[in-house]
Amino acid sequence: MTGFFEANREILLFTGLTAVKIAVFLGAVMGFTALLTLAERKVSALMQDRIGPNRASVFGFAFNGLFQPAADGIKMILKEDFMPERAEKLFFTLAPFFALVPALALFAVMPFGDYVMVFGCRVQLQIAELPLGLFFVLALSGLAIYGVILGGWASKSNFALLGAMRGAAQMVSCEVVLGLTLVGLMMIYGSAGLQNMVRSQGGLLFGFLPAWGVVYQPFAFILFLTAAIAENKRGPFDLVEGESEIIGYFMEYSSMRFAAFMFAEFVEIVLVAMLAATLFFGGWQVPYLYETGFLFPGGAQLPLNHYLVSAMQVGAFAAKTVFFSWFLLTVRWTLPRFRFDQLMGLCWKALLPLALLNILITGAVMKLPL
Amino acid sequence: MTLTAAIYLFGGLTALATLLMIFERDPVKAAMLMLAALLSTAGLYLAFSAQLLAALQIILYAGAIMTLFIVAITVTPAAWRDTRTARPAGAVRLKARTLGLAAAAVILAELLKVSAGVKTVTFSPEFSETGTLDLARLLFGRFAFQFELLSLVILAAIVAAVALAAKRKEAQ
Repeated sequence: MTGFFEANREILLFTGLTAVKIAVFLGAVMGFTALLTLAERKVSALMQDRIGPNRASVFGFAFNGLFQPAADGIKMILKEDFMPERAEKLFFTLAPFFALVPALALFAVMPFGDYVMVFGCRVQLQIAELPLGLFFVLALSGLAIYGVILGGWASKSNFALLGAMRGAAQMVSCEVVLGLTLVGLMMIYGSAGLQNMVRSQGGLLFGFLPAWGVVYQPFAFILFLTAAIAENKRGPFDLVEGESEIIGYFMEYSSMRFAAFMFAEFVEIVLVAMLAATLFFGGWQVPYLYETGFLFPGGAQLPLNHYLVSAMQVGAFAAKTVFFSWFLLTVRWTLPRFRFDQLMGLCWKALLPLALLNILITGAVMKLPL
Repeated sequence: MTLTAAIYLFGGLTALATLLMIFERDPVKAAMLMLAALLSTAGLYLAFSAQLLAALQIILYAGAIMTLFIVAITVTPAAWRDTRTARPAGAVRLKARTLGLAAAAVILAELLKVSAGVKTVTFSPEFSETGTLDLARLLFGRFAFQFELLSLVILAAIVAAVALAAKRKEAQ
């Protein structure tokens, strides 16, 4: 038996570590997503001068609505699982999976920290280190469209199909822009691996400015954020749902199937927030913090323990994710909904040419003899 | 060993999904089977360590082209009918089968001819982990002219499609 462990030490260690990383990171993400559903209602309540959900309680303790996500989950499980008589059974069942699974799989390439030493082992704080992580992100986020199309068509309802049509057109258009805004970053960092991109953002510009992506590509960041919100199908681009018009592609869904679509939307918020932080705001990088501790521009030093540095880096990534998640929630409750032709015009006539221009200018500047 | 198993697994899946697609009468189900075939081809590329090719396969074929196919199919009347479509008459069926078998024979012969050449190709020693650099060198170096020419052909096709569609509207 020991012989087997000795012979396969490497692969067993890798499998075990990956399983632990998946459990910890995905657990944290799922927990945060559940809280985000509460945050959405609380943020909207604050902005509309309401209190928001505050009744769900355990033994009389409500904590201002903290148990609401759990109450919602239990309610969703207990609701009737309804399926229209004419629905395509197989695809009706398959659609929620298509919505949720690609979004969850994408967390595999998110670097949530640099590395930690555990019992003399160097553990990378990223579930899968793909050299082409960014392409992986674009590929899998493209598959989420099938959840929308299949859900809309398999329900055999005109409203649901209208929602699906809108969703497909919107997501394909924005996917193109989303990919093109990131080309400039790939040119600057010379890599498509997300961990490599974060590592390249660790330096300083002019001796004091953190060399984050947003400093190099401020314009691309705005384009990226716009396209990402549209890809995420959230306000001001929530035409796919358009509560007052067509309700949406998941109109015929109920119970946990509906919850899967809903949850996928919030998972995508976390995903967009993490991508924005990773690509444009240094990921887990803390300004002036290096492997051995702080090193300020003036020359002042503050040596720190390795575990403290790692904890601060993971904390910085979490803080950036929380900030952008909050920002996306606020955007949704601030801006009014676009009309569909306005959205298509914005995507193809404004964002796409601007993204191409951004690539051209980035290339020209990189070739300049500076 | 794992990689060889993955190659056979994804290869088998691709073949199975393609065969099922050919014999599927429901257009949406056929499109979904084609999606399965495209995705398992991407898996096959991954097993061959061509990561870029796998990612592009999913982005372009599964993410963009199949999406348009399925959107187009789901709005056709056939995708909304509950009953199966009536089978065509015997004479028509015979003609269709003969033509189809002839086309299949031609394609199979071509594939065999090509695959005979593929067997002799070996990995170049400087083949990188992802194959990105080699692909870029070929596309933007040796085949740059053909590559750019192809984009012009596609552009011409798009312009022609728009022109044709516009003309039909006028005729109505």
